[in-house]
Amino acid sequence: MNHEDIKNGVIDILVDLTGSDDVRDNLDINLFDTGLLDSMGTVQLLLELQSQFGIDVPVSEFERDEWATPNKIIAKVESM
Amino acid sequence: MVENIIHAIDTVATQSPDKIAYVYEGQAYTYAQLKQGSDRLANFFSQVLPAKAPIVVYGGQTFEMVQVFLGLSKSGHAYIPIDTHSPNERITQVQEVAQSPAVIAVEPLPIEVPDVQVVDQSLLTEAINGGNDNYDPALQVSGDDNYYIIFTSGTTGKPKGVQISHRNLLSYVNWNVDDFGLEEGVVAMSQPPYSFDLSVMDLYPTLVLGGTLMAIPKQITDNFKLLFETLPELGLNEWVSTPSFAEIALLDPNFDQEHYPKLTHFLFCGEELTNKTATALIDRFPNAAVYNTYGPTEATVAVTGMQITADVVAQYPRLPIGYAKPDTEVYVVNEENQRVAPDTEGELMIVGPSVSKGYLNNPDKTASAFFDADGKAGYRTGDLVTMAADGLVFYRGRTDFQVKLHGYRIELEDIDHNLASVSHVKQATTVPRYDKDHKVTQLIAYVVPAGGDFASDMDRTKAIKAELGQMIMEYMVPQRIVYRDALPLTANGKVDRKALIAEVNPNA
Repeated sequence: MNHEDIKNGVIDILVDLTGSDDVRDNLDINLFDTGLLDSMGTVQLLLELQSQFGIDVPVSEFERDEWATPNKIIAKVESM
Repeated sequence: MVENIIHAIDTVATQSPDKIAYVYEGQAYTYAQLKQGSDRLANFFSQVLPAKAPIVVYGGQTFEMVQVFLGLSKSGHAYIPIDTHSPNERITQVQEVAQSPAVIAVEPLPIEVPDVQVVDQSLLTEAINGGNDNYDPALQVSGDDNYYIIFTSGTTGKPKGVQISHRNLLSYVNWNVDDFGLEEGVVAMSQPPYSFDLSVMDLYPTLVLGGTLMAIPKQITDNFKLLFETLPELGLNEWVSTPSFAEIALLDPNFDQEHYPKLTHFLFCGEELTNKTATALIDRFPNAAVYNTYGPTEATVAVTGMQITADVVAQYPRLPIGYAKPDTEVYVVNEENQRVAPDTEGELMIVGPSVSKGYLNNPDKTASAFFDADGKAGYRTGDLVTMAADGLVFYRGRTDFQVKLHGYRIELEDIDHNLASVSHVKQATTVPRYDKDHKVTQLIAYVVPAGGDFASDMDRTKAIKAELGQMIMEYMVPQRIVYRDALPLTANGKVDRKALIAEVNPNA
């Protein structure tokens, strides 16, 4: 899977979860500080990443700061 | 059987002063500290606050908050908790209804509140550290006096303050302590914020049992890595949360009996417990009992409940919410207010000693929701249920447009009213999006815009959400806004919310 596919896939998930196009518009937006993602939203994000990319993020390893923006999430998915 | 909550907690402090009552951020606080602090605060409050007045208390999940709650109870004042994660406007809205003469700022207030006395942290610290210990336990309090007032979402855009008396709370606490098999010295999780009445489920039963409250504030629950490092260290016996929070925990493969050997009780309330969640918990925690409970804030936390065993999950794909607690009657009526036959859907009515006397300073809403049943207090829940011949109750839905999102109770009309007062919004209707278990996952607002110079709908949405976020709780702000030239209408000319719900949930 190339960078563009991963990027678009992650953004589509985020748009659906947050119900906001802001995440497409600004890839450095802080999802938690802006209230776009809460705890339950985060859970749904991890489940979606698992089902769409087959990557398994143990919830106990989830460090909020490392997943705070669309760009950070894209980088995480690429690294896994 | 406890006869007086405050006396019961003070008795623990007298008999076992060094027992740990509360743990926050690794710091442990004893029952002696709880008693001394609340006694001194009670003396201080009875000097500086008008007698019996309801008092707004602003703060997070800290030991000092609990000292203040008990201090106010001892001085005959009711407390109105407002959590630090509330929008600033919440303080103003609550104060408009409550007309509290004073605000106790355990944490610094984020805004100025006009015309009230502010009791700030330095005054509290002074009272706790140097006040008078000789508090008179017979001070002023009667069973009908309010113990706390918790504000919930109201349909007109103004929150409603549910008044819970000492007697109401006592009825709830005794049921919780007697029927759920909790033992003295129980170590309980204290996770829901104090402005949410689910917190009452851990707070008072634990303290009257001489147990320990393990505070898990939002900064921990928000960071999963920290959360799952913290949780197994706490030595919990009792887990109290919404089912949603347990669903997060279940994502951790180590959330099981092996890593939580002392966990023996799960108590749920606030939203529907799904069969899937209960099954997973029973599987992973063979030594624990899982309890499902149900109740509106208006009847003090919960009024029905039962243990969900492996047999129950096998028998009922959609889990029951249990049987009425022993001192309470629940029954089901149709639209003509006539009792219905067993297993027939209708509205649930509650009559008993834990039913509130009504909404603070709101006689109209009180009259429409509360009633007198031969001298006992009754409440019309607005919840659709069925009840089996043996009294087992099943939740089916709402008669109105109230939803639960992550355990928070939300009146969709409340959001609509607030949205309509946002700049550049002409009309708005909010609808829930459901997942396949019929659980609300998102709120979607349909908005008819009115003017405004925005480069795009995205910018418009950003501005609307920001303004709305100043007025209502964060969990009430719709995730998505859809713009329309007009909203669909019913034959009666009202906005057809059901049509919009069907549009958002095509497969429901």
